[in-house]
Amino acid sequence: MRLWPASPQKRRAYACMLAVLSIASVQRPALAQTPTPEMIKAVGVESQYADVISQVGGQYVQVSAIETDPNTDPHSFEASPKIVAQIAAADLVVENGLGYDDWADKMLAATPSATRLVINVQQLRGLVDSTQNPHLWYDPATMPAVAKALVADLAALQPAHAAYFQANAARFDAALKPWLTALAAFKADFPDTQVAVTEPVGDYLLQAAGADILTPFGLQAAIMNGTDPSPQDVTTQNALFTGDKVKIFIYNQQVTDPLTESFLSLAKRNGIPIVAVYETMPAPGYHYQSWMLAEVVALRKAVTDKVSTATLLVKPQP
Amino acid sequence: MSHLISAIFQPGFFSNGPVHTAMIIGGGAAVVSACIGVFTIIRGQSFAGHALADVSSAGGAASFLLGVNPMFGFLGMAVLAASAMELIGVSRARERDLVTGIVLGAGLGLTALLLYFDVTSHSTTGAATSVMFGSMFGVPASIIPAALIIALAVILLVIIIYRPLLLSSLDSTLAAVQGINVRLTGLLHLLMLSLAVTLSAMTIGAILSTALLIGPAAAALRLTKRAGTAICLAALIGVGATWGGILLAYDSYNWTPGHGWPVSFFIVSIIFVVYLLTGLRGQRGRFAIPAANSLVRL
Repeated sequence: MRLWPASPQKRRAYACMLAVLSIASVQRPALAQTPTPEMIKAVGVESQYADVISQVGGQYVQVSAIETDPNTDPHSFEASPKIVAQIAAADLVVENGLGYDDWADKMLAATPSATRLVINVQQLRGLVDSTQNPHLWYDPATMPAVAKALVADLAALQPAHAAYFQANAARFDAALKPWLTALAAFKADFPDTQVAVTEPVGDYLLQAAGADILTPFGLQAAIMNGTDPSPQDVTTQNALFTGDKVKIFIYNQQVTDPLTESFLSLAKRNGIPIVAVYETMPAPGYHYQSWMLAEVVALRKAVTDKVSTATLLVKPQP
Repeated sequence: MSHLISAIFQPGFFSNGPVHTAMIIGGGAAVVSACIGVFTIIRGQSFAGHALADVSSAGGAASFLLGVNPMFGFLGMAVLAASAMELIGVSRARERDLVTGIVLGAGLGLTALLLYFDVTSHSTTGAATSVMFGSMFGVPASIIPAALIIALAVILLVIIIYRPLLLSSLDSTLAAVQGINVRLTGLLHLLMLSLAVTLSAMTIGAILSTALLIGPAAAALRLTKRAGTAICLAALIGVGATWGGILLAYDSYNWTPGHGWPVSFFIVSIIFVVYLLTGLRGQRGRFAIPAANSLVRL
C-alpha cells in the first residue's frame, strides 16, 4: 500500500492537511516535588485550596494543585490519566464542589480508598446543590472554615503534629485580617458601589464589599456556561457602560469570549475602571490572603482614582 | 391591534443592538445560503455542503486559539476543505461521497483537537457551543462590514456566472460540449459554498448551517421548477426563518424568566416546518417534482 499519493494534485492536498495538523502545540506545566514517605500527600483541586493546605500543613505536607493555570478556564477543564494517579495516591483532597470540579468527584469514586480524607468545600459550607455561584473562594467565610477542617483532617493523619497544624491555622487566620479589614473599610467608605461584571466569579467578594451588582444574573450565567446570551441582557449590560451607571467593571480574566471582549472595550471607551478577577490563584507572586487583599486594593483604587487593575499577574522579568 | 403587535414584537425589539446585528448578519447569511443552496441541491452536493460546514468548525476552533475573529477561521478552513475536496477530485457521485466523508471525519477530528487546546490553554469559555451551535446575539457589530462584503461578493458572482453554473450543475456533459469550463464552475461553486457556510456558521453555528443552506432551497424547489424563482423563494424563506427565529428568541426571554432560548433552535425549527408544509402542497400534485436535477428548467 502506498501512503504518499502519486499525483501532484493529491500530494498538494495531503500537504495542505498536514500543514493544518501541525498548527498548534500547547502544553500545561505541572507541579511536582519529591515526596518523602512520612509526608502527607495532599491535593488541592484548585490552586487557592492547595495554597491554604500548604500554609496549614507546612513542612509535613506535600501539596499539589490541579487547576493552576490563570490563563485557562477551569469550567472547561479536561482531566488526564496523570491527574487520576495524583488523586488516587493522595491522603487528603480538597475540592470546591457545586459542579465546579465534578470530574474530581468521579475520580475519587473511581479510585476508592479507605484512608483518604476529602474536604468538599460546598458541604463544609452547608450549601445546597442549587446554589448558583460556585466560586466559593471569593467568600470571606470560606477559607477560615477550610483551614479549620484542614487542622482536623491533618491531625487525624498525623496526630503527633496536631499542635503544629493548629498554630499554622491560627497564623493563617491572622494573615487574613488585613484583607477583612480592607473589605470592611471599603464597605463603610463606599456603600452600595454600583458595579458591572462579566460572570459571577467575584460576586461573593463584591457582596461582602457591599457592592451593588447591576449585571443581570442571566447574562452572568450565560457567559459562565458559554451559552447564547439574551439580547435583552446584552443591551442592559451595554447601557451600564454607556450610561455611566457603574463605578467599576469586574472582568474575569479566565472566562472570556468575543462578547466579554466587546464589554471590555466599551468599558474602556467610557472610562470605567476595570478590575481583574480569577478562577484560580494568579501565580506566581501570591498567597491566598495577598491575592484577596490585592483585589480589594484594586477595587478601592478603581473607585478613588479611576485606575484600572487589568491584571494581577506579575510579568516575569526578562 | 396595537396590543397584538406589542405582544409579537415585545418592547425594545427594534431598538436592541444585538438584535440589529443578528438581523443584518443573519439576513445576509440566509440570502447567500439560499442562492448557493439551490445550486448545491441541483448538483446533488448537499452532503458536501454539510461536510464543509462541519469541517469549517475546525477553523472556528482555531480562531479561538489564535485570538482572531471566528469568521476568518471559518472562512479559511472552509476554503481549505473545499480545495481539498476539489483537488482530490472525483467524478463519480459514489466516490465523491466517500472523499467528502473522509475529509469530514478528518476535519471534525481536527476540531476536537483544537477545541481541546482552546480549553486547556486559553480562557475560551463556551468555544465548543458557540462554534457548533452559534451565538448570534454574541456577535460583535464590528464584523458587519466584512460579513456584508462576503455576502455581496457571493451574490455578484452568482449573477455573473449564473448561466454556465446552472447548465454545468444540471448536466455537466452538455455544459462541456457547449464549451463551459466545468471544472472551473465546480471550483467556483465550492468556493461560494465555503463563503455561504462561513456566514451561516457565524450565525447558527457550523453544525446547524446545513439547515440554512439546504432547508430553504429544498422547500423552494418543491414549489417551483424554475431555478431563478427557486433562488428568490429560498432567499425569502431563509430570511423569514432567520428573522422569525430572532424574534421568537427575543420573545422567549419572557417565557422562561431571565433567560431566552437559543435563536438557532427557532431558526432551524421554522425551516423544518416550512419544508414539511411545502411537502403537503407538493403531494396535492400541482408542484410535485420527482427529481429536482432532471426537471429544473433554465
